[in-house]
Amino acid sequence: MKTPARAAAREILDSADDSLLDLVDNLLNKGVVVSGEVLLGLAGIDLIYLRLTALLCAADRVSQSREPS
Amino acid sequence: MSVYLYAVIGVRPASPCGNGVCAEPLRLVVSGDLVAVVGDLPDTPELTAMTLRAQDGVLRRLAAAVDAVLPARFGTLLADDAAVAAALAQRRGPLAQALGRVAGCEQMTVRVWGDGVATATAAESATSGGPGTRYLAQRRQAHEQAQRVPELEPLRRRLGDLVRAERVERHDRPPLLATVQHLVARGTGGRYVAVVDDARDALRPWRVSVTGPWLPYAFGEDAA
Repeated sequence: MKTPARAAAREILDSADDSLLDLVDNLLNKGVVVSGEVLLGLAGIDLIYLRLTALLCAADRVSQSREPS
Repeated sequence: MSVYLYAVIGVRPASPCGNGVCAEPLRLVVSGDLVAVVGDLPDTPELTAMTLRAQDGVLRRLAAAVDAVLPARFGTLLADDAAVAAALAQRRGPLAQALGRVAGCEQMTVRVWGDGVATATAAESATSGGPGTRYLAQRRQAHEQAQRVPELEPLRRRLGDLVRAERVERHDRPPLLATVQHLVARGTGGRYVAVVDDARDALRPWRVSVTGPWLPYAFGEDAA
């Protein structure tokens, strides 16, 4: 049974882990796309795209507050 | 059973590639001088933090064995080996070119943060020509602007020839203004980070964050 896409997206996006956000950006946003019979069966991707920059912004605020002044 | 594509490489690795995201053994599909690293899976792996990390891990292991790795986008599933070979054949030129570009390289990612946007540099608006010409000139200017990150100029000067190629993505979502990927020689990521740290004062009021080294995820597509 597949994890519902929304829950999977939430799990990834709520982690507020910088390296994971970079992985999302790299693996879902970049990388070679071969044309032809590619099947992208990942319904949660749009949701992740939408929230990625928002999350990156949030991560910046978190790391800023961690910086010693 | 379908074929899940991990990466395109230029040469056969000397040793076996190990296992994939779902512990399936990896194998190679050869098409001319291009080699695809694939696993046999019934479906795309579930999209979770764990599978993303696992796929990155598979690719890093691969990068340790060969000089040039072009990671495929997560979730690239093809019907069978023939479909993989056809997909490679269809983009042979661009893929070979990209492999040449990323050989011996890794990717560093810099994000630019700030509360506004850098003033456009000497935006000369076309005053001559008809309305059509002016419109097209404006469109071109907007497009070029989207490819630029003038905020990073002081950093670019310092990085010099450490950077072999650049990819730029502007965001309309302050405080995140832009994401810039730089292709650097393997093993120079540490030096790169040191240069970025040294440039922080010169970059004010913009702030930057840097991550890496990554596989050359952003350099698989032929641009520029």
